[in-house]
Amino acid sequence: MVKERCTSADCRLCEFLDSKPELETSFNREPKQSVKCGFGKKGVCCRLCSNGPCRITPKSPRGVCGADADTIVARNFLRNVAAGAACYLHVVENTANNLREAGLGNYATELKGLEMLDELAELFDVEAEDVNEKAVQVAEKVLADLYKPRYKKMELVEKLAYSPRLKKWKELDIIPGGAKSEVFDALVKTSTNLSSDPVDMLMHVLNLGISTGLYGLHMTNLLNDVMLGEPEITQDKVGFKVVDEDYINIVVTGHQHTMIAHLQDALITEEATKMAQDVGAKGFKIVGSTCVGQDLQLRGAHYKDVFAGHAGNNYTSEALLATGGIDLVISEFNCTIPGLELVAEKYQVKMIAIDDVAKKTTAEMLKFDPAKAPEITDKLIKAAVESYQNRRSKIEIDIPKDHGYDDVVTGVSEKSLRKFLGGNYKALIDLIASGKIKGVAAVVGCSNLTAKGHDVFSVGLTKELIKRDILVLSAGCTTGGLENCGLVSPSAAKLAGDNLREVCEELGIPPVLNFGPCLSIGRVEEVAVELAKALDVDLPQLPAVLSAPQWLEEQALADGAFGLALGLPLHLALPPFVTGSEIIVDTLTKNLPEITGGQLIIDTEIESAADKLEEIILDRRSGLGL
Amino acid sequence: MERIYIDRQLCEACKGCMLACMAKHNGENIDTLDLLDTSNQSANLIEQSSQGEVAPIFCRHCDKPECVEACMSGALTKDKETGIVSLDQNKCAGCWMCVMSCSYGMINKDTNANVAFKCDLCKDREKSACIENCPTGAIELIEVGEGRA
Ligand code: SF4
Ligand code: SF4
Ligand code: SF4
Ligand code: SF4
Repeated sequence: MVKERCTSADCRLCEFLDSKPELETSFNREPKQSVKCGFGKKGVCCRLCSNGPCRITPKSPRGVCGADADTIVARNFLRNVAAGAACYLHVVENTANNLREAGLGNYATELKGLEMLDELAELFDVEAEDVNEKAVQVAEKVLADLYKPRYKKMELVEKLAYSPRLKKWKELDIIPGGAKSEVFDALVKTSTNLSSDPVDMLMHVLNLGISTGLYGLHMTNLLNDVMLGEPEITQDKVGFKVVDEDYINIVVTGHQHTMIAHLQDALITEEATKMAQDVGAKGFKIVGSTCVGQDLQLRGAHYKDVFAGHAGNNYTSEALLATGGIDLVISEFNCTIPGLELVAEKYQVKMIAIDDVAKKTTAEMLKFDPAKAPEITDKLIKAAVESYQNRRSKIEIDIPKDHGYDDVVTGVSEKSLRKFLGGNYKALIDLIASGKIKGVAAVVGCSNLTAKGHDVFSVGLTKELIKRDILVLSAGCTTGGLENCGLVSPSAAKLAGDNLREVCEELGIPPVLNFGPCLSIGRVEEVAVELAKALDVDLPQLPAVLSAPQWLEEQALADGAFGLALGLPLHLALPPFVTGSEIIVDTLTKNLPEITGGQLIIDTEIESAADKLEEIILDRRSGLGL
Repeated sequence: MERIYIDRQLCEACKGCMLACMAKHNGENIDTLDLLDTSNQSANLIEQSSQGEVAPIFCRHCDKPECVEACMSGALTKDKETGIVSLDQNKCAGCWMCVMSCSYGMINKDTNANVAFKCDLCKDREKSACIENCPTGAIELIEVGEGRA
């Protein structure tokens, strides 16, 4: 009997899951969690003090302390966003630190993106001549900003933000002080019997959005470019077919690509290959999963030998282990779902955490330290070999080699796209102006199992948008889903409207441009900024919209806050847990256009969401006289 | 006699009623209730209808209870006065005829013994535990006239 499970837009994945009745994954647990607590969903449950939990009902409209629904919702929401911002700030902090250590000669890894280093040095007024010294100073500028107290504004904001936005943010007084301190005070503010002002708390949300976007996303990308090499447009394989059982296969889950910089180079040395061969394998491969897989794919031009290809997004990871082809999971950040542990145990996959923020119960802890990279790499390689030897004779290998695509277009970044377009964005603007492309929609973020099923909303919305000649830019686990459903392959052009189809076929590109990991939402937003600059308008005038249909976690909310601060319309298919407060809902969905120019759109249906996004695009076009 | 009356519109699916029922049946309170102990059993259920709406399901203590009809051992009886359909676990033979006969699925196997398990409207308490723990008033005891369903 087939077990009850949630569905996926990826039919082959569903078949694979159904072929393993003894396997339990998130897909099987989702139906058992389908009855939701209404108070939690609405954000009106408060557990801040021992008088609680208080829940708002018609008969009890205030908590014991007197907090009403607006206060309770605002506190919960700001806490969520603060946690999300904290996550991305952890990533940029480690990334900057790794770059600094590399520059100091303490992290044995070669900097692969010197052009980007020069650009950053120039932008930040770093005068050092020596490459390493430059790297240290660039990294230190970023770190210094992150560590500032809240009463000192972060300096690089002025250099990173688009000037009309900067002006707006100054007007609203939401330019962040030291990013970590802003998170800290968000926690203070939302603690028991402190702030009760929902509007002030929403402004704090926008403030955190700015540090998340400019530092957590954008800066992390640029620092990653320096360390790991800049994205170059190329084509690659995706899906479970990328797993080759003849290799010792390592999956890395997380977002902190620089932590494996040493490892990924070491895995393809002769010495490592020999170790693999000694136990009967051809060598080592890193199989892409979650955002670090998307990041490797994005920079695939630099990692042809070690990177097997991207297998799939967050909720594909359990099934990936169930192919039996994976020997080691290295976790360094989120999207290492707890259910992975159960599958890893069943398929005897060794787990090692290299950052304690992603310590899994069943994983061994091997804390990453750039100064000890060679030693850590050595241990990781040995663990992979040992696991391969222990498990391969006992575990059935069942890799659906017909899952996925061979020709996904990848490596798109704000720079590689500009290069592709001939050195500037004029070609794209001309296409928009002529109406060949109606506008651009960023369909980004996570995947969840609740917005109609795994990747169902993202795929459905993307299809609707491209049909209407709207070019889709994608980043994050959303992209992982779109890739495995064929929308990032050039042949997807046939699903686009006539105009967009013609453009795609002429250029040999898919109607969905793949920017890689969720960190690259920063790159997508950078494209919007470039377009706005070229047109000499502010972002709210652009025929550009944002949708994170299948947002999953607190990080996504912090990302979303950046989109709203940028003045972009943001669609979500599931509301954040705020619907219990009229003030918050009205501010986000009705009043925000007057405040930042952004707007939250909640629409749980694919077609009507596409209608609304298209309408905004058409409206903006006419605003620009197009 | 009294019946549980359910206002689906008010139900927020917090499952507070299920927690209370579990706690009552194993002699605990909700704070000490072990939610990982699968032997904890609730007589009521919060489900989702096929239209995606919250559906609280409680024993109806039916006027013409199929479970009582089906029970050969005399373990299930309907009290004429209170209307409560109760189960005497000591008399239950574990034949599961009642389980198969209830069209609402409200009588089940006891997770701890080879006998049936169902709602007894907390007749040993002043107020039914589920009702006591429902924050929205979605479930209430209402007085119904003799012979009403
Ligand atoms: S802080 Fe107020 S609303 Fe929250 S639990 Fe305490 S009394 Fe209730
Ligand atoms: S168990 Fe079923 S048949 Fe028996 S009283 Fe309850 S609802 Fe009626
Ligand atoms: S009335 Fe008693 S037995 Fe019935 S559901 Fe409520 S708590 Fe459980
Ligand atoms: S306690 Fe009340 S509101 Fe909560 S689930 Fe049960 S019936 Fe519904």
